[in-house]
Amino acid sequence: MRNFAAVPGRGVLLTAGSIAIAFLSWQVLSTFIFNPFLIPPPLEVIRTAIPMILSGEILADVSISMSRVLVGFAFGSLAAIVFGVLLGRLQLLHDLLDPIIELMRYLSPTAMIPIAVIWFGIGELSKYFLIFWGTFFIVLVNTIAGVWRAPIARQRAAECLGANQLQIFVLVVIPSAAPYIVTGMRVAMASSFMSIIPAEILAADSGIGYLLQKSSMLLQTNRIFVALLTICLLGFVFDRIFRFLVARTLARFMSFVAVT
Amino acid sequence: MLQLDKVRKVFPAAPEPYVALDGVDLEVADGEILCLLGPSGCGKSTLLNVLAGFERPSAGSVSCRGAPVRGAGRDRVMFFQDAGSALFPWLNVEENVRFGLRVRKVPKAQWAGIIDNYLRMVDLDRHRNKFPAQLSGGMRQRLQIARALAVEPAVLLMDEPFAALDALTRRRMHAVLLEIWQRTGKTIVFVTHDIAEAITLGDRIGIMSAGPCSIISKIIDLDLPRPRDLADPAVARLFNDIERLLAPDIARAEERAAH
Ligand SMILES: Nc1ncnc2c1ncn2[C@@H]1O[C@H](COP(=O)(O)OP(=O)(O)O)[C@@H](O)[C@H]1O
Ligand SMILES: [Mg+2]
Repeated sequence: MRNFAAVPGRGVLLTAGSIAIAFLSWQVLSTFIFNPFLIPPPLEVIRTAIPMILSGEILADVSISMSRVLVGFAFGSLAAIVFGVLLGRLQLLHDLLDPIIELMRYLSPTAMIPIAVIWFGIGELSKYFLIFWGTFFIVLVNTIAGVWRAPIARQRAAECLGANQLQIFVLVVIPSAAPYIVTGMRVAMASSFMSIIPAEILAADSGIGYLLQKSSMLLQTNRIFVALLTICLLGFVFDRIFRFLVARTLARFMSFVAVT
Repeated sequence: MLQLDKVRKVFPAAPEPYVALDGVDLEVADGEILCLLGPSGCGKSTLLNVLAGFERPSAGSVSCRGAPVRGAGRDRVMFFQDAGSALFPWLNVEENVRFGLRVRKVPKAQWAGIIDNYLRMVDLDRHRNKFPAQLSGGMRQRLQIARALAVEPAVLLMDEPFAALDALTRRRMHAVLLEIWQRTGKTIVFVTHDIAEAITLGDRIGIMSAGPCSIISKIIDLDLPRPRDLADPAVARLFNDIERLLAPDIARAEERAAH
């Protein structure tokens, strides 16, 4: 008998199986045990979802939420990387700012929603700001750690080979930090997906979070579940896209993570 | 070529500063292989870092060809034991060698020839498109050698470069290094804690005492033809002499490490 671990396509099979089992139990539980109004069965949810997809309603909400995530994430990452490599290199600046960073990183984007609304209103800017905020600290901390951990031997080797300080920094330290930076970005991406929802629930008139909020007010549990499923799917797809892009463009900087 | 005069190195430490080197005198002649042998923790790496210019001595002076050493210089290249972290893992074999040529602004037209030459010398020319993670430990060390030779330094400073390799690979690396040395006439300072390795490679062996306050307590001239076979009675006698010489210091180093 062949070992199941060796069957090709095993991962896909398992994933499909896992989802099928979950849907089946969900269907059974919500039909026979729980109140189907509180937990609508999956077939009901799908029936609700189809017109929402066809009318373009979901797509509109998804794209507005995603554009908020992407803009905030892109600027947050960029700012954090620039700032992080400087702080990682300039000890004095780091020691000066580190206590503040250590305190500020506990201010989650959710905690910043009320003040963001006052500063930026309920338009796009407040959402950009909140995602930026969440992304910035995660990527910053990881970037600093990456710069610090650039092996001293590698920097000295570069110095021996004739590199000046700027070259060591740009050609050796930053590439050495790349795996840490990318890991930070991936975590920040996941966290952006989590923070966009409360931001839109509390301070928006569009987006997936707003859809949740509106459906809740109208007691439309079917639509709430459609929104929740959409969030799961989006997070998953975005993480895969991110990993794919990293693998395509940064593979040579990532491959050595396992090597010392 | 290289000259150390009463070099002292003190590291700030709690509860009191740690005196790693306490008056090291050393002269390395052009084209020789000098092995530095001593128990671990005695300050071999520290001494090499001072020679490389990575660390400034707390007192005393270091010079290379009569000029005081003030920082890492283009004429001295350091080798590290952990090639995995010393190499540039995001560059392939060829690009690792090219790095030095690029930062030293060697004319582009010469790159291909230089890279070919040194990759062939260390027998890596068939692996030029591989990344360091795809190489064996011995190949990584050979890549370190090729990368260093490509910028044509006069001095190679080697810090236990083969200590992490298995015995067979290490023997092969000794042969590779000696052959390169005979061909290029580089000056080599080779740090090791392995007596057999020091005897295999060295023209002279500098014995370092256990820290703190380490010095070079004795220098041994090796007037033995290469290749040196440990089964040869003269070589075996030398091995035993050195072992006896080192024994009290190794015990001392062990005791200190146990604290
Ligand atoms: N940067 C440093 N700060 C404090 N102590 C150090 C530092 N570098 C080395 N030492 C100490 O100096 C001694 C010699 O270290 P090292 O030169 O690495 O020894 P070896 O290479 O012979 O094993 C050790 O006891 C080590 O703890
Ligand atoms: Mg050492």
